[in-house]
Amino acid sequence: MKHLKVDVTDLNKNFGDNHVLKGIDFKVANNEVVVLIGPSGSGKSTLLRCLNRLEVPTSGKVVIDGNDISDKKTDIDKARENIGMVFQHFNLFNNLTVGENVELAPTELGKSSKEEAAQAAKKLLKTVGLEDKYNAMPYSLSGGQKQRVAIARALAMNPDIMLFDEPTSALDPEMVGDVLAVMKDLAKNGMTMVVVTHEMGFAKEVADRVVFMADGKVMEEGSPDAIFDNPQNERTKSFLDKVINV
Amino acid sequence: MKKFFVLLSCIFSITIAGIMFSQPKVQAAEKTYTIGTDVTFPPFVYANSNNKYVGIDMELIRAIAKEEGFKADIKPIGFNAAVQSLSSGQIDGVIAGMTITDERRQKFDFSTPYYQSGIVMAVAPKSKITSLKDLKGKRVAIKTGTSGADYANSIKDRYGFKTVTFDDSDNVYNDVKNGNSAACFDDSAVLNYGVKTGLGLKIVTKPTNTGKYGFAVQKGKNQELLSKFNQGLEKLKKNGKYDQIIEKYTGSAATSSKKKENKQKDADGHTFVGLLKQNKDALLEGVWETIELTVVSIICATVFGVLIGLLGVIPNKFSQGFSTTVIYIFRGLPLLVLALFIYNGVPSLTGSKIPAFIAGIITLTLNEGAYTAAFVKGGIEAVDTGQMEAARSLGLPFGKAMRRVILPQGLKIMVPSFINQFIITLKDTSILSIIGILELTQTGKIIIARNLEGFRIWTIIAVIYLVIITLLTLLSKWVERRIKD
Repeated sequence: MKHLKVDVTDLNKNFGDNHVLKGIDFKVANNEVVVLIGPSGSGKSTLLRCLNRLEVPTSGKVVIDGNDISDKKTDIDKARENIGMVFQHFNLFNNLTVGENVELAPTELGKSSKEEAAQAAKKLLKTVGLEDKYNAMPYSLSGGQKQRVAIARALAMNPDIMLFDEPTSALDPEMVGDVLAVMKDLAKNGMTMVVVTHEMGFAKEVADRVVFMADGKVMEEGSPDAIFDNPQNERTKSFLDKVINV
Repeated sequence: MKKFFVLLSCIFSITIAGIMFSQPKVQAAEKTYTIGTDVTFPPFVYANSNNKYVGIDMELIRAIAKEEGFKADIKPIGFNAAVQSLSSGQIDGVIAGMTITDERRQKFDFSTPYYQSGIVMAVAPKSKITSLKDLKGKRVAIKTGTSGADYANSIKDRYGFKTVTFDDSDNVYNDVKNGNSAACFDDSAVLNYGVKTGLGLKIVTKPTNTGKYGFAVQKGKNQELLSKFNQGLEKLKKNGKYDQIIEKYTGSAATSSKKKENKQKDADGHTFVGLLKQNKDALLEGVWETIELTVVSIICATVFGVLIGLLGVIPNKFSQGFSTTVIYIFRGLPLLVLALFIYNGVPSLTGSKIPAFIAGIITLTLNEGAYTAAFVKGGIEAVDTGQMEAARSLGLPFGKAMRRVILPQGLKIMVPSFINQFIITLKDTSILSIIGILELTQTGKIIIARNLEGFRIWTIIAVIYLVIITLLTLLSKWVERRIKD
């Protein structure tokens, strides 16, 4: 086994009486791309959000890159600098230009000077195909453009791992391709990625491993071929039947 | 953003310091006593056309002060407010045609009586009411806290009438004149004087429940002042000055000349221009006081409100609870109650005085600040939670995320509420007239108490408020545009 990037042991999360995650064990190796699938309400997003403590675990251990995220004494801001996150609804900072969105964290956190950050931002925007939007305000962008800016913003902190929370679910169908292309490039370049998605095509093509979740538990995991062509668990089968035969 | 807060807190502290230093210092050589009195109770207390307070009580207290070598700082804050301020120790004495009663003796020490009066009933000139028996089922106007009111309340069941209470004598008289109330009860000296000088009412009963007027201090306190008053009064009675004063205000010469003066003033006193000219100085002072109150309160309330609002959104149960409680209390209290509580209630507890202006600022800061805090909190909470999550997930600490991402967006949401709150603050300063601050509304009350030109003066006051509010709105809109760009 390669060096572990993510090491989750016996993770439980309750929202009031609602037991959302029930004793999850979840590991991700360096440079690995893991795709989380499963019906809505299965706990995929909650698991992802526990990885950078946007949700505080009820019990269990979450270790990212050797840092115990679930320990209150850990400097969570420091740890988050290395964990990029992309949201379903983009969450671009509405009061800042595209360029400022990308530059905010590196400059505020003293990672780079204004000039360095601006240069880096322009370069990142170029890689996501939006160099001409540097001075634009978020409201003037399409959904696909916003999501690519959001990816650039997360990458600006040079994270070791990227978390994607249904990054294409809020997009018009014709925009999905652009965003997935950027993600594929990232994967190709060796980024460690955890992706919650309903894009089965992306899972098949890019994932090193697919994890199927239902009812707050990991039901089945394996290579894309194993999961999609030869699922063992009944829940996996019925889920895939529904999604793929739409 | 940081600079903005630093600037705000600077202004805040400078303002507070300014207020502290601008308070008149107590002079060591000649002792100054603060004496509360009524707004209008002629011939005992009333403002003449120069807005100077004259009348029997005023001349007496000034003559006694001169005789005994102390300074009297006269505060015409209204009878009710004066009595309350005295019992809470905010002022040192009250001279306001106050009848000495057993009930009042429990709270105050009285001087030797300086005047004797009784209660009479007055009705409109054309009224058919001639005795108490005719009052059955009717409404009677009284002034709060007066012995006329006590008398009316004591007999209202027997004669089957209802009472309606006002704060100022002129409101009482007007209510009778325009027929809303059938009659009013007041001291005979006051009503006699009024009738003689053209008040437009007639007296239909003989004086009853005769009472004596006394100068009052808080029970057991300011005994020195009380004995000085008694000594001074004694001297004035001996040297004939006392009789002169009484004659000056109740003699036929006085009343007929006053009547003439009233008639003459009526000529130009019935036009807006005439009234404006006559009261220009008083109105300007009132406007200035209102503006001062408004500006200082807006600054203090904004700083206070923003701080409390921010405490309400930081992820800490204690600070959130604190913020919620402060908002709950000060938004829940009527402004009037809060003003009276701070001005009259707190000093009777702590024993130290609060100047009316400071009490007013504190009142507005707490009340308007609570509203500000509520919409600051609301504005921040109205920013999509995803914005905070995105900022935090990049590694930005809470404070930085707040400052760079959430507050700029929240502020835009809050701007209309801020403008609204500024306008409300301006209007709410009028409520502070209750604690005797001589702002625009109180100035209006006093002018009307003198000339009974309610309609025209209130119109003038209303227009002045609208003008200031328009200016404030224009200023705010200009600032709003600057922020949006």
